[in-house]
Formats: sequence, C-alpha cells, structure tokens
Amino acid sequence: MNGSSSHSRSSIGKKQLVAATGLFLILFVVAHLAGNLFIYGGPEAFNGYAKKLVGLRPGLYFLEAALLVVFLIHLDATARLVLENLRARPTGYRQGAPAGDRQGHSAAGGSFASRLMPWTGAVIVAFVIWHLLDFTFVDRDGPAGILPDGRSYGLFGVVYNSLGNPVHCVLYIAAMLCVGTHLSHGIQSFIQTFGLVGERRLPAVRRISNALGIAIALAYSSIPIYVQLSFWVFSRRGV
Amino acid sequence: MAKTINLILNVWRQKGAQDKGRFEVYKADGIDTDMSFLEMLDVVNERLMKEGKEPIAFDHDCREGICGACGAVVNGRPHGPMAKTTLCQLHMRRFKDNDTVTIEPWRARGFPIVKDLVVDRSAFDRIMASGGFISVKTGSAPEANAVPVRRRDAETAMDAAACIGCGACVAACPNASAMLFVGAKVSHFGLLPQGRVEAKERVRGMVARMDAEGFGNCSNHYECEAACPKGISVSTIARMNREYLSSQEMIWTKES
Ligand code: HEM
Ligand code: SF4
Ligand code: FES
Repeated sequence: MNGSSSHSRSSIGKKQLVAATGLFLILFVVAHLAGNLFIYGGPEAFNGYAKKLVGLRPGLYFLEAALLVVFLIHLDATARLVLENLRARPTGYRQGAPAGDRQGHSAAGGSFASRLMPWTGAVIVAFVIWHLLDFTFVDRDGPAGILPDGRSYGLFGVVYNSLGNPVHCVLYIAAMLCVGTHLSHGIQSFIQTFGLVGERRLPAVRRISNALGIAIALAYSSIPIYVQLSFWVFSRRGV
Repeated sequence: MAKTINLILNVWRQKGAQDKGRFEVYKADGIDTDMSFLEMLDVVNERLMKEGKEPIAFDHDCREGICGACGAVVNGRPHGPMAKTTLCQLHMRRFKDNDTVTIEPWRARGFPIVKDLVVDRSAFDRIMASGGFISVKTGSAPEANAVPVRRRDAETAMDAAACIGCGACVAACPNASAMLFVGAKVSHFGLLPQGRVEAKERVRGMVARMDAEGFGNCSNHYECEAACPKGISVSTIARMNREYLSSQEMIWTKES
C-alpha cells in the first residue's frame, strides 16, 4: 500500500479531503465577511480596507493561489464522491421516504441541506465566477465606481452600483442563501467526518452548525439590502 | 375475535439476478392484525401456491429480531414504519384497513438481488473477514478480572455489538453506504482491550473491503441511524473516521 495516495483514494480519505478543504473555505468565507462589513463604515473605511489588502501583495497572491487550489481539490473530491454514490445504487426505490420521521424515532434523518450539497455547491461555483467578474476584475477607478452624485467612490462605488441593481441584489441574496445552506450542513459534517465529537455532543454540534449557516447567510445578505435602502433614501432626498 | 384488515400489496418480483423484475399487485384480504409482517407474507404465499403461482421469496430465520436475516423496504422505509424494529417484529396492527403496501428489496450495488426480496449480503461477510475479528490464542479463558475495561467503553462497545448485520443502513442510505455497519464493528472491537491491539489493521482492512464491494460514501445524512433496528449511533461512524485517519500513521512509521 502506498502512503497518502491510498488514503485519498479511499472513501473516508476522500471525505476527509473534502472536510479539510471545506474548513479552509469556511475560514475564507468568515474572513471575507468580516472584510465586507467595512462597507458599513462608509467609502473611506471600505476603500481603505481594500487598499490594505492590495498592499499585502505579493504575499496575497500566495494565499489566493492556495485558495484556488483548495477550491479545486474540494470540487474534484466532491465530484468523485457524488459520482461514486450514484453508482452505488443503480436502481432506485419506487417509493422513498426519509427514515427520520418514523414512529418512535426522534432523531431527524437527512436534512434538505444535506441532500442539496451538490446543488448548493454548484450555485457557489457559478456565483464565484460572476462575483469575480463583477468586483475583482473591474476597473475600480473607471465609470463603474461613479455614484449618482457624479463623484467616483472607487471600489465602494462599484459595489453600490452593482448591488443597487435589483436583479443583482436578488441573485446575490439567493447565492448567499445557498452558501448558508451549504455551511449549515458542511460545518457539522466536517466535525463528523473527522470524528471530533461523540454521541452526546453531536446534537449540539448540529444546532450550532445550522445557526452558523443561517448567521453567515444573513450577515452577507444584509449588505445588498443595506445598499438598496441607501439608494432608496438617496432618491427620496432627491440628490 | 381478532381484528382483520384487507391490504393491497405492491411487491417486487424478480426471477433471478438476470431478470429485469417488476412490481406485481396482490390482494391480501382478511389479515389478522396480531400477525407479524412475515406471517402476513406467509399467508399471501400460501394462497399464491394454492393458485399454482410462485410464492414471494424473502429472507428470514429467527423471527424474533436477533439474527438479521429478514428485511425489506416497506413503503419507502427499511424494516417498515416503526423505529428500532426488524421486519419480523413488525405487527400488522401498524397498518390500516385498505392500506396499499409497497414492498421492495434492499437496493444497492453491493447487495445484488438473488430473487424477489432476497438480496446477496455476502459483501458483509467479506468485510468481516477483512478485520472484523480478534486474533487470540485459544485455550483456557483468562481470569475475568485480569483485563480491566472502563465501564463507559464496555457500555459503548456493547451498544455497537447490538448490530445484527441486516443491511438496513445500506438500504436507507441515499448513497447505499455501509459505513454504519462497518462503524459498528470497528467500535465493537476497537473499544475493548482485546480488540484494541489490531484496531489499526482492522479499520484499514474493513474500509478497503467496503470500498471494493461498491458501497457508497457516507455524506452524513444519518438516515442509517433512523432505519437501524438496533439503534446503532452514527457516532460509531465518527469513531471509524477518527480511527481511519490515525491509522495512516502506520504507513509512515512502518519499520520494514
Ligand atoms: C465557499 C465555498 C465552500 C465552502 C466553505 C464549503 C464547505 C464545505 C464543507 C465544510 C463541507 C463538509 C465536508 C464534510 O463532508 O465533512 C462541504 C461538503 C461538500 N461540498 Fe462544499 N464548500 C464550498 C464550496 C463548494 C463547491 C463550489 C462545491 C461544488 C459543487 C461543493 C460541493 C460540496 C459537496 C457535494 C459536499 C458534500 C460532500 C459529501 O457528501 O461527502 N462545495 N463543503
Ligand atoms: S448497523 Fe443497524 S441497520 Fe446496519 S446492519 Fe447493523 S443492525 Fe442492521
Ligand atoms: S428474522 Fe431474524 S431478525 Fe428478523
């Protein structure tokens, strides 16, 4: 048997690869959220934060490359797991019912979040591509950063103009709901896949995981809602 | 006088491994509600044989919920609607008059269908042969108090040992994963000092065999725990995952 490759080819090894990369992605999601919340501090605070990030280059390139590799490993391992799982049951049942709701059993079976993992994940991929085109690969000091008062607000303005578009706003919130749903299962799944807690603590881990998923989705979604409200106030004041 | 009910059965019929199989509809009239589910099938089979038809093949042995031979998916649930109940222990009083009951075999690549509701579960035997045992010198039994066992470990090992190898966990899992079964065995042996010695080889061997048999990968839906007639906890899977990761150390520290 040849070392780490037999681990990463095995069922549990692939799961642990997904969980480890998932943890890295969670840390990114939380850090990114913390940065985004600078938007509530106004243009100076937000653009200042963005500048500081750029100032971290070239070290930042290294982190970004690591993030990309981790993302691709997560995708590759989950795709293999999902395909193997489809092959493991060539013929389905005529009638399927979640076992969790049987008489006399209190523990819930699979949640909708766990069943939706591949789908919420696919939405995240689409979102990430759109998001990078929208905010990262854009000329921050070009026309995209000019707000209705005619002045350029840099990246702050770019974010406002994009999320001020109602379609963008709705799509952004939908994507964040998918991220939250993915994490509501992903966080507790990570704990279980590494076997970090036993029977007694598992229900609490599940509750915390669901709460964190919802909290992350709400915190991200608050930004486009805030932008919409600001535009509304702006237009009422007639500026 | 016992109460009786009439049922409509949708039963999966398949002549053999090569047959495509199909659902057949049978009337099961006048079923005594004190019967078990298997006794109901016995009655239906008797009537089929009187009509000169082939009876429905299904597995069974002890009929008291301890051997793990019986099992079918009833209305979408392995072993039927009751928690912690094998099919042989399910009573017909759980059904209502004129219910339609759909009966299907376990569905998994690792459990090929032999006939009707009978599936080949020898994959579980091969997994057991890949580490689901303790190698001991036979001879006279050691003095009982010579090997101390923590009470908590003894209890947890005993809970895991309740697994009867029925395969309902595989049937219930959306991925047809066998990880609850293997987790139960890894926990049962690995928590006791006699089994601890071979814990790492055991988990590596059993997981490799499980993968080779074509079972899916757990994605932590926990349908297995809800379906298990013996209430095996998914924390056994957590223990197996932990044990599997730590067994990787064997590869790096191998002396020869
Ligand atoms: C922000 C990005 C993402 C984060 C933070 C994240 C996080 C996680 C975590 C923590 C898990 C649980 C690991 C475990 O089972 O123990 C997970 C599982 C999973 N992820 Fe992601 N993920 C992200 C993006 C994606 C993407 C883009 C896809 C691709 C379609 C994806 C597909 C999946 C699937 C299918 C699973 C379930 C694996 C299984 O059933 O074993 N994820 N993710
Ligand atoms: S873990 Fe439960 S469902 Fe699975 S084989 Fe053992 S007794 Fe049956
Ligand atoms: S026949 Fe033995 S458990 Fe059902």
